[in-house]
Amino acid sequence: MDQMVENAWLIPLFPLAAFVIMVAFGRQLKTTAAYIGILATLASFVLALFTFLERFQEGAETFYQPVHWFSIAGFDVTMGYEVTQLNALMLVIVSLVSMLVHIYSLGYMHGDDRLPVFYQYLALFTFSMLGLVISPNLLQLYIFWELVGVCSFLLVGFYFYKPEARAAAKKAFIVTRIGDVGLFIAIILLFWWTGSFVYNDIFNAVENGVLEPWQITLAAILIFIGAVGKSGQFPLHTWLPDAMEGPTPVSALIHAATMVAAGVYLVAATFDLFAASPTALNVVAYIGGFTAIFAASIGLTQRDIKRVLAYSTVSQLGYMMLALGAAGLIGYAAGIFHLMTHAFFKALLFLAAGSVIHAAHTQNIFEMGGMWKNMKVTGWLFLIGCLAIAGIPPFSGFWSKEEILLSVYHAGRMDLFWIAVLAAFFTAFYMFRLFFVTFTGESNLNHKPEESPVVMTLPMIVLGVLAVVAGFINTPWNPVLGEWLTYGMEGELHVEAPAWISVVTVLFSLAGIGLAWMMYNKKSLSRDWLSGRVPALYQLSYNKYYIDELYDTVFVRPLRGIGIIVNWIDDYVVDGAVRLTGRITDSVAGLGARMQNGQIQTYGLVTVVGLVLLIVGLTVAGGYYK
Amino acid sequence: MDITAWNWEVMTPEFIILGTATILSLIDLFMPDDRDRRFLGILGLLGVIAAGFYVIKFAGAEPVQIMNDMFRLDSFGTAFKLIFLTGVALLFILSIQYLNRQNQEVQYRGEFFYLVLTALLGMMIMASSADLITLFVGLEVLSVSSYILVGIRKKHLYSNESAFKYVVSGAIATAITLYGMSFIYGITGTTNLYDIAERLASAYQQGFSLMIYLGFFLMLVGLSFKIAVVPYHMWAPDVYQGAPTPVTAFLSVLSKAAGFAIIIRIFLSVFRSIVNYQSDAGSFYVLFQELNLYIAILAAASMIIGNTLALRQTNIKRLMAYSSIAQAGYILVPLVTFWGINFFSQTLFYLVAYLFMTLGAFAVIMVVTTDRGTEDIRSFAGLYHRSPFTAIAMTIFLLSLAGIPITAGFFGKFYIFMSSVLYENYWLAAVMMGTSIISYIYYFGIIRQMYMRPGDTEARLAVPLPAAFVIAVGVLGTVAVGLFPDLVLNYLNQNLQFTDMFARP
Repeated sequence: MDQMVENAWLIPLFPLAAFVIMVAFGRQLKTTAAYIGILATLASFVLALFTFLERFQEGAETFYQPVHWFSIAGFDVTMGYEVTQLNALMLVIVSLVSMLVHIYSLGYMHGDDRLPVFYQYLALFTFSMLGLVISPNLLQLYIFWELVGVCSFLLVGFYFYKPEARAAAKKAFIVTRIGDVGLFIAIILLFWWTGSFVYNDIFNAVENGVLEPWQITLAAILIFIGAVGKSGQFPLHTWLPDAMEGPTPVSALIHAATMVAAGVYLVAATFDLFAASPTALNVVAYIGGFTAIFAASIGLTQRDIKRVLAYSTVSQLGYMMLALGAAGLIGYAAGIFHLMTHAFFKALLFLAAGSVIHAAHTQNIFEMGGMWKNMKVTGWLFLIGCLAIAGIPPFSGFWSKEEILLSVYHAGRMDLFWIAVLAAFFTAFYMFRLFFVTFTGESNLNHKPEESPVVMTLPMIVLGVLAVVAGFINTPWNPVLGEWLTYGMEGELHVEAPAWISVVTVLFSLAGIGLAWMMYNKKSLSRDWLSGRVPALYQLSYNKYYIDELYDTVFVRPLRGIGIIVNWIDDYVVDGAVRLTGRITDSVAGLGARMQNGQIQTYGLVTVVGLVLLIVGLTVAGGYYK
Repeated sequence: MDITAWNWEVMTPEFIILGTATILSLIDLFMPDDRDRRFLGILGLLGVIAAGFYVIKFAGAEPVQIMNDMFRLDSFGTAFKLIFLTGVALLFILSIQYLNRQNQEVQYRGEFFYLVLTALLGMMIMASSADLITLFVGLEVLSVSSYILVGIRKKHLYSNESAFKYVVSGAIATAITLYGMSFIYGITGTTNLYDIAERLASAYQQGFSLMIYLGFFLMLVGLSFKIAVVPYHMWAPDVYQGAPTPVTAFLSVLSKAAGFAIIIRIFLSVFRSIVNYQSDAGSFYVLFQELNLYIAILAAASMIIGNTLALRQTNIKRLMAYSSIAQAGYILVPLVTFWGINFFSQTLFYLVAYLFMTLGAFAVIMVVTTDRGTEDIRSFAGLYHRSPFTAIAMTIFLLSLAGIPITAGFFGKFYIFMSSVLYENYWLAAVMMGTSIISYIYYFGIIRQMYMRPGDTEARLAVPLPAAFVIAVGVLGTVAVGLFPDLVLNYLNQNLQFTDMFARP
């Protein structure tokens, strides 16, 4: 067991090997590709689990293994791997969810011609994500950061024959790139100031006062911009709902459980930097808090099952950011705890939604209804997911959300506290709106939906169990995970908070559920009782606050305008010049088709002209011409 | 002067190559016409390997010179010879397949092998002599061999045409080079590079600067022919297109590297000694403060012309010709910035990277164009579905040529770029960056063909074993050097003391 940590570098390599094998054999593999992928992720998961268990023992030290990579201008750049409390946990989450999604996809993607391609992308993604997590320095992280972005792009655009999917893939790539630029600048600046890409060197530089306060703040905020892009935080959240054009297992893996959590992970991994700058922490907290309530309020009115879940993801990621930014070390522990439980229950919800879509052949919840009768297993699992995300005890979401609220309250941030409580109310409402509309009432489908095969339900059941029990690892009276995560870090972990908070938040959640029940199940309240009264608000939420339209008007259209002008220049001036050059070359080449026609004279002439120009240049510049 | 007392042993690699070439030509002469000539390639390969063994054996030793510096073994020459020998070895492996009996294009297979060997001999002389005459003879041995190689497809119209153009262009270049050399000889009265260096420095102080500059420019322009940079680049596309693919690979990698060897050897040992003491800003090296501007202009012009004209090409070999013009522009940059001792490692690193990626790319090009019977870029369409490994290998080569990270080409370009920035020559760095971006368009154009365009056929592409070997070596080299650039740099810096080029034993 002692050797486990030292072998941690193997964890990302299994999916990479799977990827190489799959690419080598191409599409002829058919479903064999799926089994290769499942085996590889299983191997990663087992190794990650052992690594995690080893870390969980008392007194485990951070393991860091650098290898010299190359030197520039006297600075050594290393690559390597690192196992800390944080990334040991992430390794388990990523490999587990990835493995389950690999299994699930076998059923969901059944019959798709490009199944091997799908598994190639999935394997590449898993490799990149695990590599991202295990990176001990920012440069290596950035490489994997871009790689997961590329995989996300490929997978969102997997159904490339659908124009929406193409547009969504492009949007996802471009919008996250905006954030990446921030991260990239941060990396360059930190390297410039500290001479290293390695986390620990940077943290030491921060601790030893090498960096000025403004430098810390600037670097932290730039890193956070990268996290905002990846984690779909306001104002770069617009790509995530559109990314739902990808296959649903992908949404579960990449756009719910793992890649979008990379932003939160990044902030957590560089937490020492953020902790040194109250301004940066405030930015994180308020952006997170605003995103939590903002996305939740959009989720209230959406009609596409996956879009509701996507806004819910954005909102929950905002929660995590809020915790990281607002509540110091307790918040750090709470944010990561929520990241873990969220990975389980949100993956569960997406997979269950996939199962529903698989049966109903539509994503519009108002075209479904009454699914409970025919899909008991999926129904129960979806219900578990809803209860977990709504924060109903004893489901896992309750414990982690409670932890966040307690920590924010404890930190005395009452404004953020009430925002979070209100967001929790919204969350409970829209999740159960989703549940009641989809599963209860009369069926609006023309056909009878069928329960999904075992290969799909089994991964969901595993996630369902985790969504129920995962919370007990960190209860307020025994915060095992929190203490372990913050082992060796300085700060207060004990929370003193009145008991009424738990009562109030659960009541808020129950109120949300109750409201949804009255409107969409019992129908004692008209669906329009609120939207009918304030149609403007409803329209605002339904149209996602017109953010896309705003961006279109403010950024896209002017840019397109510039683009048209530049394109015109390109077409007529640049292309004209190129075409002219090309034509000259072509005509020269045309002449050359017949031999000995003076073409070589042209070549010689060019040379001589070049020589003459050089000499003229010299005589003028060198002062020989007087 | 007892010639038996000279240490002839240091010329062992050259003698081996000469001997191999002679033996091959004799065998070829006495062998019946209808026999398969491929074993000649294997014999040649053995000769190259044996020569390489001795080059490595002598590496790192103190500089040795015999025949009054006419032959000179130093680290600079050793490094270049290693590049030449590796390249020729890979080229032989590649050609053994290309020149098989089914391929009626090249009927004079025997000639091919020993002409490459004589060209190799010329290149090795170009890398390890400190005398203008010997250097020139090496250059001509290479040139004459190359002219025949280009035209080796006797009954092929394009091949003849390009051979003719190559000869005439080469003759002009030779004339210009010799004219330049005559100025230098006229001023100094010697052909020994070290003597020239001393006398040129004092001649400069005595007011002969204009003559010296004329000599410099004439030699620069004349030698720019070999490395195909502006202003003597125009032959390259025509000749590359018309020559058989292995010969194109030879021209674009080996002949070019030899051109750099002679340019660096002459310029650094001769013109480096000239110091201007009369300047207001104190004394400075003329080569690195004044003349390098003109080299920079040629480098920039090559990058711009090579990369923009490549955009319009539909023939893959023409495209590679323009690409190689641009690449030569990049390799000139360290000569402009001459950033201390790192100059040698920067240039050689890029040449090593260039060797792997370009030879690999030509191996793929050879396989694909032979299979499809056309050299149009569209012959790459759907390659990924026909042979995923080949497509991925080609992608790696192209990414490396474009300078995308984790490939050898990235670090090669990165070091050169950094040298330009550290030297504070920002405009050249900017041109390099800008034209690199332009180059993405045509490199990615090929990648797009391979992955996203449906080809005429979906049939699996059979890659012959020798070609597959060369492609594999190329991928391995490109990726390994890209991941661990220090492997090459450490080898260069630990085993070779490049400054011994300036020391006269």
